[in-house]
This record gives sequence, C-alpha cells and structure tokens, in this order.
Amino acid sequence: MQNLGYFLAAFIVVWALVFGYVLWLFVRQKRLRQEIESLRERSRK
Amino acid sequence: MGKVITIAKKDILFELRTKRLLPGVLVFALLAIVIFNFAFAASLETIRLLTPGILWVTFAFAGILGLNRSFALEMEDGCLEGLMACPVSREVIYLGKVLGNLIFMLSIEVPALLVFGFLFNIAVFSLQLLAIVFLATLGFVAVGTLFSALAANTRARELVLPVLFLPLVIPVMISAVNASGLALSGESWSSLASWLEIIAAFDVIFLVTSVLIFNFVIEE
Amino acid sequence: MKMLPKTLLLGGSFALMLTALCVIFLYVPTEEVMGVGQRILYIHVPVCWLAFFAFFITFLGSAVYLWRRANSWDTIAYSSAEIGIVFTTLALVTGSIWARCVWGVWWTWDARLTTTVVLWFIYLAYFIVRFSVTEEWRAARFAAVVGVVGFIDVPICALAIVLWRTHHPGPVIFEGGLTATMLMTLLLSLAAFTALYILLLWMRASLKDDEDEVKRLREVG
Repeated sequence: MQNLGYFLAAFIVVWALVFGYVLWLFVRQKRLRQEIESLRERSRK
Repeated sequence: MGKVITIAKKDILFELRTKRLLPGVLVFALLAIVIFNFAFAASLETIRLLTPGILWVTFAFAGILGLNRSFALEMEDGCLEGLMACPVSREVIYLGKVLGNLIFMLSIEVPALLVFGFLFNIAVFSLQLLAIVFLATLGFVAVGTLFSALAANTRARELVLPVLFLPLVIPVMISAVNASGLALSGESWSSLASWLEIIAAFDVIFLVTSVLIFNFVIEE
Repeated sequence: MKMLPKTLLLGGSFALMLTALCVIFLYVPTEEVMGVGQRILYIHVPVCWLAFFAFFITFLGSAVYLWRRANSWDTIAYSSAEIGIVFTTLALVTGSIWARCVWGVWWTWDARLTTTVVLWFIYLAYFIVRFSVTEEWRAARFAAVVGVVGFIDVPICALAIVLWRTHHPGPVIFEGGLTATMLMTLLLSLAAFTALYILLLWMRASLKDDEDEVKRLREVG
C-alpha cells in the first residue's frame, strides 16, 4: 500500500486537532458556565 | 484637495525643521544595502540578480521604520487630537498623511537607489524602474498609513505594524520585485505590464478602502 | 442555544462526517499513480476551502460590525477567525504531507500553499491586533478593520502569487481529471467539513457570549 503512512498521518493530525479544539471548547464552556453561576449567586446576595 | 496638500505640507515642514526622522531612516536604508552585500558575499553578477530583492526588502523595512515613528511622533505631541479638532474630514486627514508619507518614502528611496547604482555599477535610473518605485511606494504608503494609525493605538506598536503591514503588501512586493528585475534587464514595457497592473489595482483598491475605513481607526 | 436545531446540527454533521469517512476509506478506489496517499486530497481540499470560507465569514461579520456596531456580528467574526486559523493550520499541514507524498519534499512554494501561508499570517495579524489593545470595544473595532482589509487583500495576493508561480495539481480537480466516484467523494467530504464548520462556529460563538457575560458580571459585581 503505497504512501499509506502519509495518508494516515494527515488523517490523524486533522482529527487530533479538530477533536482537541472541540474538547477545549467544551471544557472552557463548562468552566465559564460555572463561573457565571457563582457570579450570579454573589450578586443576588 | 487643498486641505490634503496642507496636511501633507505640515508634516513635511515639521520634518524639514526638526529632522527627527529622515536622516535616521535614510542611514538605515543605506546600512541595509551594505549589510546585504556582506550577507550575500557574492559576485557582481549574482548581486545583479539579487538587486530587486535587496532593494524592495530594504524599502519595506525602511518604510515600516518611518511609518512607525511618524504616527508615534504625532501622538507624542498631541498633534492628532489637534488635527481631529480641525474642521477637516477624516478622509482628508488620511489622504494628507498618505501624501506626506509618500514624499517621505520617495526621499529615502531615491538616494538609496543612487547609492545602490553607484556601489554595484547598475543603471538604476530608468523610467521603468522609477514608475515601479512610485507605484509600489504608493501601495506601501496607502496600507502603511492606515495601519500605523491603528498600531499607534496599541500596546505593542513596533510589533503590530510589521505583523499587519508585511502580509498585506505581499502582492506589491512580488510584483515590484519581478517588475524591477525585468526593468533592470532592459525588458520592454509590455513584459512589465501585468505586474504594473497588479500594483496599480492594489493602489486603487487600498486607497479607496482605507479612505472609507480610516474613520474607524482614529475615532474616539 | 436552542436544543432542537443544535441537536439536529450535531447529529447531522456527525452522520455526514461518518459517511464521508467510510467513503474515503473504503468505497473510493485507490488511484493508480499516487496510491493511497492520494486520498489526502479528500481531506486537504475541504480543509483548504473552509480556511478561506471562514475568513470570508470573518470579513462579513467585521464589515457589518463596523457598520452596525452590534456585538453579535463581532462575535461571529471572532469565532470564525479562530476556527479559520485552526483550519488554515490544518490546510498547511495536510498540504505539506501531500507535497511530501507527491513531490518528495516537505514544502514547496506553489501557488495554493503560498496563498494559504499568507492567509495564515493575516489571521495571525487579526489576533495580534485583537490582543494588543486594552479597551474591549477598540480591540473589536481594530480587529474588524483587519478582517475587512485583510480579506480584500487575499484575492490580490492569490493573483500575484499565481502569476509568480504555478505548481499545484489544482487543475486535476477542475479539469475533470477525477472520476465520478472521486468527485462524489470530494463533494461529500466538502459537505461534511462544512457542516463541521457550522457546528464549530455555533459552539465558539456561544462560548464567546459566555466569556462576554463573565466579563460583564465581573464589572458589575
């Protein structure tokens, strides 16, 4: 299978980056939602 | 139109009187040419091939240096607020600055060309080359004036201007270098045509765009 | 974020991507000359297209933001710019691997790769400007200026670069050098990645709204 290595490399890089980015978005959003909640709690008191 | 010239005249007179900018940038340009000579350590033939690249890299970096300082000086002395308080439209301010910067750049480039021609025995004063230099410098200045006004309002203006300026003027660089190479080899105007068209189109497009967008950069 | 459209988008893009992957890996026949490596094209082309399309969206968002001063447009511009620079990086990486595959070198200054590099630097300028201004409103405004001016520059750049050199096997795609199956695979992959882009845009814009909300709450409290 000629050049299989390259194809797999390209594939892995693309998906690693996309997946990593999506993960980062999820994690960051969760943290921010928590912070919004706590800030709102504080302002209510 | 008269107002544009007035603003340009103000900048030029200021520079002539204080001599804060021109000598330094001119020296920088000449030094750059000398350093390129050492950097390439090449035969005269090779330098001839490299001439367009050396010239235009030198002009681009000298331009960045000059543009950076010009708006910085404006802001230092509070001139910009004074200028904006005048009953002139923002577009006129922009065009006035473009004209002033254009004359500034040309007064760096012409001596630099002279010195280059002298050092490397190259006939630099052809009509073709002068046309290329004028058009390309106009492009540099159109974009550079807009972005130096922008960069002057940032925290890291020495970094921001090159990062903005250099990618944007790549079409001018490519076209100027290629056209200059052709001009120096004595090619006809027709071979230069497509390159000159790109530079001219760039000039028109970016002058118009910058005139429209300049207001957003200097408003409070 | 509304639940039904979001779920539809998530599910739809997932299904589309899965289908595209199956087709790319299993269904489409291997090309004779370049072997399995040729399949990189099915990822490289969509990623490239999206790198430029994302910047177009940034341009639109920036232009409307300058005109209307509505923050939602700046959010779109900013989010698209971030996704765009990710896709541009991917375009450069896959393009480089493709170059290694086809020409045996890791890099070549051919027209398409060179234009993509310039695009990458223009994206970078957008973010450097954004992060080097202290006032939020001014940062957004300046970045929008870069978004507009930068986008106008891209076609002129491409023109100059193409005139300067042609090397990329672009013509293969547009001259019908592809079989019907290959073309279908490419279009499917294109659709899948575009769906992914829309999903990412939505997510990033929602995240930006949360970031702005946090800033607002901190100032008030």
